[in-house]
Formats: sequence, structure tokens, C-alpha cells
Amino acid sequence: MNMKMKRKKQPSLLLFYCLAIMLCWITPHVTFASIEQEGDPINVSGYVKNSQGEVLIGATVKVKGEPMGTVTDINGFYNLKGVPKNAVLEFSYVGFQSQEIPIEGRSRIDVVLVDNLQLQEIVVVGYGTVKKSDLTGSVASIKTDVVKDIPANSIEGLLQGRAAGLQIVNSSQDPGAGSIVRIRGASSLRGSNSPLIVVDGFPLGEAGDLKQINPIDIESVEILKDASASAIYGSRGANGVILVTTKEGHIGKPTIQIKQQLVMSEFTSKLNLWRDPVLMALLSNEARTNAGLSPLYVGEVSSTGIYYPSVEELMTTWKTNTRWDELVFRDAPLSNNTTLSFSNSTERTRINFSANYFTDQGVYIKDNYDKLGFNLKVDHKLYDNLNLRFSDILYLGNRNTNNDLAYWRNPIFPVYDENGDYYLTSSNDYSHPIAISDHRKNQTKMFDNIGSAALEWQVFPSLQLTSQLNYKYGKSTQDAYYPKKYTEAGTFNNGQGVINNWEGQNFVTETYANFQKLVADRHDIGVMVGHSYEYSMSRSSYLQANDFVNEALKNENMSAGNPEKNVISNGYSESKLLSYLARINYTYNNKYLLTFTSRADASSKFGKDNRWAFFPSGAISWKAHEENFVKNLNLFNELKFRFSYGISGNQGISPYQTLSRYGTGKYYNDGNWVTTIGPGYVSGWTGPGWIYRVWSGIPNPGLKWETTSQSDFGIDLGFFNRRLRVTFDYYNKLTYDLLRERNLALSSGYDKMWVNDGKLRNRGIELTVDGIILDNNDWTLSGTFIFSKNKNKVLDLGNTLESGLITNERTDLLFEYSGNNLEQYRGYTNILAIGHPVNVFYGYKTDGIIQTLAEGLEAGLTGEYAMPGEYKYVDLDKNGVVDENDKDVIGDPNPDFTCSLSLNARWRNFDAEIFLNGVVGNDVVNTQAFNQPSNQPLRWTPDNPTNKYPSLRDGRQVMFSDWWIEDGSFLRVQNLTLGYTVKLPSEKIVASKLRLYVNASNLYTFTNFKGYDPEVDLLGVYYGGYPRLRNWTFGIDITF
Amino acid sequence: MNTKIKLVIFFSIALFTACNLDEYPYGFYSEDNFFKTAEDAEAAVNYAYGTLNYLEYSRSIFFLGDMPTEMLTTKSDASVHNQDLNNWKVINFKTNETLENFFKYAYIGINRANAVIKKVPDADFDTKLKNQYLGEAYFLRAWNYFNLVRNFGLVPMHYSLVETLEQTSAGLAADMDEAWGIIFTDCRKAIELLPVYEQPKIGRADRVAAQSLLAKAYLYVASAKENNVLLYRDMKRDVTQMYDSAAYFANEVITKQNTYGFEDNLLSIYDVENPRGKEKIFIMGMDRTGQTEGEYSKISKMFIPYIDGATIYLKQGDTDEFIPSHDGWGEYRTEIDFYNAYDANDRRKNHLIVNKVYDANGQVKSEYPGDLLYPFCRKYIDPEFEGDKTSTRPFLIRYSDIALIYAEAAGPNDLSYNLVNYIRSRAGLGNLRPGLSTADFRNEVRKERKFEMAFEGDYMYDLRRCNKIGEIKEVVDAGLTENQYTFYPIPQAEINLNGELR
Repeated sequence: MNMKMKRKKQPSLLLFYCLAIMLCWITPHVTFASIEQEGDPINVSGYVKNSQGEVLIGATVKVKGEPMGTVTDINGFYNLKGVPKNAVLEFSYVGFQSQEIPIEGRSRIDVVLVDNLQLQEIVVVGYGTVKKSDLTGSVASIKTDVVKDIPANSIEGLLQGRAAGLQIVNSSQDPGAGSIVRIRGASSLRGSNSPLIVVDGFPLGEAGDLKQINPIDIESVEILKDASASAIYGSRGANGVILVTTKEGHIGKPTIQIKQQLVMSEFTSKLNLWRDPVLMALLSNEARTNAGLSPLYVGEVSSTGIYYPSVEELMTTWKTNTRWDELVFRDAPLSNNTTLSFSNSTERTRINFSANYFTDQGVYIKDNYDKLGFNLKVDHKLYDNLNLRFSDILYLGNRNTNNDLAYWRNPIFPVYDENGDYYLTSSNDYSHPIAISDHRKNQTKMFDNIGSAALEWQVFPSLQLTSQLNYKYGKSTQDAYYPKKYTEAGTFNNGQGVINNWEGQNFVTETYANFQKLVADRHDIGVMVGHSYEYSMSRSSYLQANDFVNEALKNENMSAGNPEKNVISNGYSESKLLSYLARINYTYNNKYLLTFTSRADASSKFGKDNRWAFFPSGAISWKAHEENFVKNLNLFNELKFRFSYGISGNQGISPYQTLSRYGTGKYYNDGNWVTTIGPGYVSGWTGPGWIYRVWSGIPNPGLKWETTSQSDFGIDLGFFNRRLRVTFDYYNKLTYDLLRERNLALSSGYDKMWVNDGKLRNRGIELTVDGIILDNNDWTLSGTFIFSKNKNKVLDLGNTLESGLITNERTDLLFEYSGNNLEQYRGYTNILAIGHPVNVFYGYKTDGIIQTLAEGLEAGLTGEYAMPGEYKYVDLDKNGVVDENDKDVIGDPNPDFTCSLSLNARWRNFDAEIFLNGVVGNDVVNTQAFNQPSNQPLRWTPDNPTNKYPSLRDGRQVMFSDWWIEDGSFLRVQNLTLGYTVKLPSEKIVASKLRLYVNASNLYTFTNFKGYDPEVDLLGVYYGGYPRLRNWTFGIDITF
Repeated sequence: MNTKIKLVIFFSIALFTACNLDEYPYGFYSEDNFFKTAEDAEAAVNYAYGTLNYLEYSRSIFFLGDMPTEMLTTKSDASVHNQDLNNWKVINFKTNETLENFFKYAYIGINRANAVIKKVPDADFDTKLKNQYLGEAYFLRAWNYFNLVRNFGLVPMHYSLVETLEQTSAGLAADMDEAWGIIFTDCRKAIELLPVYEQPKIGRADRVAAQSLLAKAYLYVASAKENNVLLYRDMKRDVTQMYDSAAYFANEVITKQNTYGFEDNLLSIYDVENPRGKEKIFIMGMDRTGQTEGEYSKISKMFIPYIDGATIYLKQGDTDEFIPSHDGWGEYRTEIDFYNAYDANDRRKNHLIVNKVYDANGQVKSEYPGDLLYPFCRKYIDPEFEGDKTSTRPFLIRYSDIALIYAEAAGPNDLSYNLVNYIRSRAGLGNLRPGLSTADFRNEVRKERKFEMAFEGDYMYDLRRCNKIGEIKEVVDAGLTENQYTFYPIPQAEINLNGELR
């Protein structure tokens, strides 16, 4: 097992652990040693197993104080004859905690030995491991046991609610979709906010979509949160680090395990669609009439050439009422996840191999994802002190995308016309879902290989050298074809074929030395120094052919397009990172702990003037429970105080920003198109409808990383023999030198340039309570409660003029727009404002609905905005006009806090887990609040003078206001698992263990949100879509 | 394996990582890999020409040249920035998006020209080609400054390529002598360096273009100082000398080359299918086969009103021929007083301003007065349009313009009379009265310019240089002062961000 391996790597640590074990654990047992031996000898026998129920072969069983003993046989069975009745048996096994058990006259004693390191809870930190009890920084450790029954494409989605300070948002339900991952809030505005993910020492990149690794192959996940923990990753540590450790070869008998999961999904709520065409037509006519337009449903051909029946016709003769959703959505999307794993070990070699096949049906027809993964891990002892590790992960993914179908299509349209062709409303009808599904092609094939090899050399008992080489190669190819009919791109270009290629490589080499020594019994010194070099490259090419004569081959023969209309482009980028790292751990008397960490990074992305960055951090910790005066209280098993402070960075900018860059264009030069090149390139678009170019290209040789300084204060508490454990952390994270773009003088010939400017703060508290309520042979009952609160604040956005900040003259609020420009409101919904959390909502306030024209005019509204049935926007400055200055901060998409509760129960062979996850106090913009069959009938009319909804009026130019904002708080019954485990006597049946279980995810959600589901992206804008899926998993695990 | 070997393995892995952290550009051009060859230089010159085509800049030819005058107006739902310009809401001019874009893109053009001027001399290729590209760069820098100075007066002076943050700020010209100085010297350099093309090249300028621009510039300053325009009246340069210089360079254009000349027929001046016509000294390089607006032109959509979305047909002068066109968005609307100011017989009204549109069968579909919103300018029609895409290439310098400049600068001599009378007779009008005084003759020429150069982005500048802006109705109504109407203000964004102006 993993833990044991770690021990072998660091025998000096083992020494330390043994000492700790003696102090912490053996002490209570010592009393047994004094029991006197008397009475007649008897025979004693039984099984010795580990806590997983696996037999231990060759475990030593000794009679204490007597020259008697034996070892367990191949079945873990021992038999001792002629043992004194009152003797004490000593059970021991390498790597396990020894146990002494008084016989007390029994003839059968079965023993479960507990893994030493499991007791010690070794935690992986960057470039080494540490006992959990010796942690000085803030690290959350998640054993993946808790999520093993939930099938998933990647691990991140499963971590939701499992660690304090870790925010996971699963806003997309597409097959193969990733998650949004944040640790302790957002600390960057323009750079990346995703934590770094490191798998077995290989920094793979940003967390969010670790699809290459089967979650079942993952042993544990560590979340490095504070600077003391994350600064070892230097310029990439500011967003926190997620360390993933995969499973290694099992000690003991060869085992084969088959894990089979079948998932069926269903919507958690009904779709909100027009089922009554008459009502739909009536409301549509009303909306158009109110807008001064001629109504559609009058039994005439409209200006777009479509016949719309009259309301009477719909009530009587019109029979078509197509349920598009039933055609477009699958009844029960199925997902299958099969994993076969094999594990074996000999004296020198340990092997773990697993193969995984995962298929996932999207909720839309023909929307699929499947992947095949292989994972091989070999650990071989070349010499007693030289160990070779090798691992290779292979991933093959295949995505057929068909996830944008118009399930909301007008029900009065039939699927097919009288000739059996697709019924299209016009030649510009690009939303016929069946036609698109049948004729459009959009496939992506992905391939990844992640390989790593390491040498571990125990030079002296106290010194170990590790050198690791990692290499990742990935590629993806998208094949798409948009037919001449049915699709917009195809119609405009007379057929369009696309091949989109991407490939990337990462190469990382790391060498480091770990020194660990206990001096004079009380000074425990650990030193790590190392070096790392990383190279990453990505390249892409895009081929587009247009104007196809014959569409039969789709994009298979791109040369069949019109050669004059080909579009090609390609890209390439490369970056390098050279680092030196060091960590010193010092423990005095097992009471006072000190950690100093630092990393120096040189990144090719930074400018020449700032090539090297230095990230130091330090932490101190006091194990108060080791002090006699605390021990005497007899209350705490653990009372530990931690404090850390340090600096880490974020280099989340794309390469080449420190170089001057020319642009290219086209010019019609005397009758021919020629390529043009010169200073300045188009880096983006702006203005109404994005028609104006944004010019960049001035280099900033001083460009550097964003810097985050973070202090963390934590307390770890243990009560009742550690059956109740509490961890509390308070942190304060300040990010400065934010990577931003500043504006340049118009006369410079450029618009923007990257600079380091601005400040952002995240402060919060985290609380984790672990409790074991009951633990005996028949019953186990335990639970974990996690609470996280993060408060984010934008402190500085740089120079007002250079940043082009906007001022609200009424409130003096300084801000800039962020997020997306929404067509619906013809503007942005979110802003970055000084003194507010990131991405707060900014718009008008409303005070119900205008009931009379006089009321509207009095409110400072004019024209159509003042009419009865309109939104009553509030004139906040009471100057008689509703204008830009009356806008205000009207909501915050960031939650006040998140919390989760998991409860685990076991009764004999049955087990159950329930997992609740809650997000509280975030606001969501419900863009669908007034265009749905559920809300349109509630409209204002002269007969229904409601204050809740406006009148129906087509073409109303809605201004963004608090009317659209809803409370996005929710509490979700995220998971419920019921399982049954049978241990089978191996001599009779082939399999040794069998587990059956049922899991339900997204079982039920408590919320006041009116849309389908409030779990939306971090900008807090809900766009509709379809309801969340409830997944039923039926699983079976067989161990041979 | 002994310890030494193991150590070698470890350190060889560690040393494997010795590396170079410098970045080298990949997939994009920069000063390191560009400006090496003649092809590079030509691509860079074309990049500078391309600036003129961007919609941020090209639409302003009409917006700043005609819209604020009584020639054009716009529609009520046009962008607020354009309405403000049309209505002389000077209070908003400092933040006017159209002015900001015009200002910015003139400097983008200047920066690109500066790149050629700075980098090409060091490149290693044929001197003749070098001279050609340098000459074009000088011409383009002059052209963009000409646009800036006419509209904004004293502007920041960027004499060299901007390559660092420090260089992004530049101080204002000390006076009009400095501001116009760069235009005069750049044009002279261009004249020295450039050849005369054997036939007009679409989208490229030659010596004649440089001579024309210099003549335009001298005439502009001469008349502005003569008419006592703000700032111009303080200039050191002598009015008569400048008129003479204008006449000299215009005369070079009229008498010293055979490539350019008068087009006999009004309609063929504007024939899109005749891009190398003799009048075309400098036109924009656009074509309907381009992919984005700017590469192709949508100018015609601006002038034509919306009719019914279908193809419309226009009558070709007095003939029975028709040419098709799309209809438009009605952004640039002819003002009726201006339409009525034409002589009733003027072909420039009857043939170039449309008051009747026809359907495919030659039946009148819409007419003015009637359901046609306004009589519209048809100088920019492309009968081969593809959707919204046209090959309309607006004039930047036209031969007739230079002929009129000669006449105005030189005053009443034989050549002047001949040139003006040619233009009048082409328009179906009689000769100018002989024996006019210089002042009267110049006034007559300027009147002629108004009708000949209508809708070509020129009239506003004639008003500016003759100190007549103050007489525009909107300006009078708003009670604007000389300081407010003579120049547009430097955009606030420039003042905010240019360290030299704060």
C-alpha cells in the first residue's frame, strides 16, 4: 500500500514515527504488561487480518514473557498450543501497530492489526510527506474511499463539499465536462484562478478536468491551502495546490478487482415548456399587440414566410403539438463504468495495473462521451537502497457533441412535412433539432499519455535522493461538418468542414534530497533541497474548407471544398520554468514545530527584468497537548496551534506578453489581396457589437507574476480519544501586482498593454468537525461537517485613468465591467468595483410595476419606460431622471458560506452514506425569469394589476435590474449510498470479497430559486438549459 | 552499482535541465524577424495603407467631412455620437467615440508609417524599391497628420515609431507651423522618392498623390491664414507664398504627367468597374471579395435609404440602362436645402443624386418626393454587390479636386478658367464669367467645389479653412464660440493617458 511505501522511502522518518507511536499510542496499553500469568495451559488459535479484512501472512504471534510463538500461515491463521490461560499474546507485523491481547481463557482470538501509517495519517506535501500530526500548514486530506461509489469522469467533481476552503462548481452536465475549482476564493482578475494539480509529483496544470486519471485509481487527494503549504510551488502556488496520489501495488496476495457501475439518469424536475399552444399563441399575440406589432397567430403567412394558425384554429382543427423535448432528450441516459485492476507484490517488485472503460450518454440524443484508460505503476527495488518507480497513464477519449438542440422549439411546428422531409420554417431555419442531429458532425478525439520514472536512493539512513522525470503528451482532434442545409455556418458557406488539431507536451525533471535526523532525542531536523525544470509546449492547427460540391464525405476530404475559400491558421506557444526549492522542518521535543519553505522560480513568461521570483514562507506550530499542564486537563488528545505566513505567485498569463508583437492583415493592393504586416496586433474587440478593434503589441519587459501573501492561523483539536476532531483555520490572503491590461494614449497607436496593477483580498474561516459516534463490531457511525466562509474584496484596480475605470457620480463607486455582455440587457451584469467582492451585480433597482402613467412619470421615467405595466426603475438620486448614476450594486454572486455534512453508518455488512452540500447567500441572475411558460401567464394586464411581473411586450428594451436577481442558496442531498459487503471464504468460492451498492446523486435540492437549478458558474448568471440530472448508480465490486 | 555511478546518474539528470529562459517569438512577427527584405517592407507599407480602410477610420471620411455641414444629416436612431457630431453638441465632443476612433486610427497609420521610415533604411535591398516604400510611408504619415491637424489643430507629434511605454506619450505641436511642418516636409520627401505610376494603382499612392496632397495642404493653410482662422492667423508662413506653392504643385499634377486626367463622363468617374480611371489619384484598396468590413466596403449602404430589402435599380444618366444595387440603412441622408441648391440643369444633381428608384422591370418603385425618404447620393454604388459586400473604393484624392485647387491657388488665369469650365461643362453648365477678380474667382471656384466634391468628405474642410464653420445653422443656434467650433477638442482619453498632456 501507498503508506508503506512512503515509509520505506524515509526510514529516518520511520524512526520518528516509532517514537511518536510510543508516546501517543502504546502508553495506554502498557498497563496490560503487568498482568500476572497463572492457570492451566490452553490452545489458542485465530485469524490475523488488516483493517480491510485481508489476511496477514507471516504475522508474528508471541506469548509475552515466554519463549513461545508462531507465525500465521497462508490463510492468516495461527495456532498456539499449551499457552497459559492468563498469558498475554503479542501480535506483530511489519508496518503494523503491534497489539497485546490477554487470553482470559479464550481459545479463539481473531485480531485486526492496524497499519502504523494509517494511524499516523501520513500526508503528502510537495516534494515529500509529513505526518498529519506534524503539519504546520493548512492542508486538507481527502481519502477517496468516501467517493469510491460515485462514478465520475474526473476526480474534481467528486470533491465538492469534501474539504473546507475548496469550492467546486459543477455547472455543466455535459458528458465529460469538467468542474470549476477554487481554493480560498478568487485571487486573480485576468490570470487563472484554478489551483495547480500535481499527480504523483508531476505538475500537470490547472485543476478542473483531470479526465486522464480514473478516480478509482486515486488513493488520496491533498489540498494545500495556505502559503506554508503551497509556497513550495512558488509562482504557481497562489491559487492553492491539489496533490493527487494514485494507488500503488498492494502488499499481500495478488488481487484482481472488478468494479462495475451502471448509472441511469433522470431529470430532477419537469421541463418548463409550452404544452398548451393556445395559451402560447394568446400570450404571443398579446405581447406583439402591446408592442404595436401585428400579432403572429392570426392564420396568415408571416413576413418570414411561416404560416401561423389563428388561436381559433389552434383550439379546433390544429392537431400539431410536437413535444420536442421528448424527441431531443433521451428517456434515461445511461452511463457505464468498468474498471479492472490487478495488484501484486514480490519481495522486490510491486505492480498495480488498472484498465477502465467509461461511457457516458448525454441527456441529448447522439451526445456521447467515452474513454478508455490504462494505468500501470511499477515499483522495483534495484538494490536495498535504490528504488525505481515507473508509471504510465494512457487515456483515449472520444466525444460526440450534440448538446445544443432546440428542445424549446415551437410545438405547433411538425417534425416532418407532408413529403416526409424535415419541416423547416424558412431557408434560414437553423434550429431543427432532428435535422441537425442527423446531418451535422462534431466529434473530438483525445489522447493523452502521462509517463513518469523516478529513482529513489537511500544514501544514508538519514538522506534520500529522489530524481523524477515526467513526460506528458496530449493531443486532440476535432472533426466537424456543417451541412448546406439546416446549419448557419453551412448555409452561409455552402457546406463547411473543419479539422481542428491540438497537441501539447510537458516535460518536467526534478531532483531533490531529503534529510531527516533526530539529534539528542529532541531535535528532529528535516531538510529538503531540490531543483526542478519544466518545459511545456502546445501547438494547434485549424483547417476549414467551404463550398462543397458533394457533401457525402463531410469533412473527410477537405480538398473537395472550393480551394479559394479555404481558411487555415496555426498557433504555437512554449514556456519554461526553472526552479530551486528548499524546506526545513525542525521539531523540538515533539512540541514545537518550525517550517521554512522557499522556492525560486525563473519563468520564460516573465520579462527580462523580473526573471527570478522568490517565494518564501514560514510556519510555527505548538503541540500543546504534549505539555504536561494540558495533559493533566485530561480533555484534549490533541491541541495544536499553527501559524503560517508566506508568499506565493500566479504566472497565469500566456507566453510572449513581454515581447513586441506585430500584427498581420490583408490589403487589396492594385487588384490583388496581399498580406500586410506591421506594429500592433488585434488582441480583442470592443464597442457596441464588438466592431472596434483593440490594439496591443507594446512589450512590457517588466511584466511579472501576481503575488499573494497569505497568513493562516489554525487550531487542531482532538477529544475523546480522537473520536471527535476539530480543525479551524482563519486566513487572510492579499494578492497584489494583479496582472491587468492598462490603457494607452490614443496617439500611441495602441490601446492596451499588460501591467501588474491592483489588489484583491480574500479572508475567511474554515471549520471541519470529524466525529466517530459509534464504533464496534456491529455498528459504526461517523460524520464530518465542513463549513467554509470566504469574503472577497477588490481593494485596488490601479490608476483610475490608466485602467479606464468608470465612476458612479452618485455613490463615487469606481468600477469596470466584467463577465459577459448579455444581449438581453444590452450590457454587462457584473462589475469589478473597489470595495466590493469580485463580479458583483450592477444595475437599477426596481420598485414593482408601474400601475399608471402618472406613477411612471413621477418616478422619473420617460417614454415607453413610464407606461403602465413597465418595470418601475428607481430614481435613487431623486433628480427626476433615471440614468446611469441610479445604478447600484444590486447583488453578489459569491456565497456567504458553504457547508456540507456527510454521515456514514455501518451495521454489520451493510453500510450507508448520506452527503449533504449547501451553498448559502449567493445571488443569481435568472435571465429566464420572464420568458417561460411558468411565468409569462402571470404578466401584468389592466385586469391583473400585479406588482410582480410586467406586461408582455415584444421588443421591450429591458434594463438590468434587481428584478432579475434571486437568492441562489441551496441545500442538496448530493449523495446517498447503500452498500452490502460480503467476505467470502476464499477456499470455497473464487472471489474473496463482494460488494453491492446503490448510489443516488443529486437526490433532492432545497432552494427558493425559480429556475431549474441554482448551481451556475461563478459569475452567477443562470441561462436556463435543462434541469439537473439525478443519477442512480448500481455498482458491484468483486475482489479475487 | 557503485556509489560513483549512481551519483553520475543523479547529477546527469539534474544537469539535463540547464536551460535558456529567453523567449523567442513563434508564429508572430516582431522587430527581430521582420523588416529584412523588400517583401517585408512592402507588407509593412500595405499595413499602413490598410489603416485607412478600418471602419473605425474609413466611415469618418464622411462623418467628419460632410456630416456636420448642411450637406448631410443622419437618422434619429443613429448612434448618439454621430448625432452629436451632426448637431454640434460640442459638450460631448471630448468623449465622442467617432472622434476618438478617428484620432486613434490616424495615429495607428502614423505609427505604421513611422515603422517603415525607421526600419527600412537599415534593411538590405534595392535602393529604388526602398525609395518607393519610404516615399509611400512619408506620404501616409503626411496624409494622417493632414487629417488630424485639419480637425484637431495642435495635436501630439509622434515623429518616430512607438516601441516602449515611455514613447507612448508625446507633446502637442508648439504651433501650427510645427503641426503643418511635418506634412509639408513629408510630402516633399515623398515627391523626391516616389515615381509616377504608368497607370493608376488601386490603393497605392505615387508622386502625383504626394504632389496633390502638398497642393491641398498649402492651399488649406494659405486660405486659412488669409481668412484669419484661429491659430492659423499666428502662423509665420506667408499667405501668397503658400498660394504659389499650392499652385506650383497642383500645376505639376496637371501638366507634368500623363497618367491622370479628367474623366469625360460623370458616371464613369464613379464606376466601380473602372478602378484605374484617370481621375483616381488615390483611392482606398477595398474589394467585395474581402472577408471583413474594411476589406470590403459597405459605404453604399450608408447613403441609400431602406426601401424594402430587395434589389433596387438605378437609371444610368439619360440613357435607358439600369444598374442594380442593394438598398441601405439611411445613415447619411442628403439635406434637402443642399439638394435644392444645385442648378436645375446640373448633371451632378440629376445623374448622381437619385430621386427615383426602379424595380427589375424598369417601373418606378419609389421616388422623392413621395415614399423615397430622401434623394440619395449614388457615387458609391456597386452593381456587382454580393449581399452587403461591395467593391466601392472611396476617393481620397481625385484629379478634379486638384484641378480646382490649382484654379483657386493660381487665381484667374487661362489654365484656371479652362479647368473650371471643363468641370462645369461636364456637369452640363455654362462657362464661368471671364475677367473675375482674384477674390471673386476664388469664391466661384469654392462654390464649384461644393457641388463637384459633394459627398466626398471634403466640404467641411473648405468651410473650416475659409472660416465659415461659424455660419452653419447648428453652430449659430448653439451660440458656439470660435474656440469651440474651429477645431474638435483633443479626446479626453488622450488627455488622461498621454503623460505629456496632463
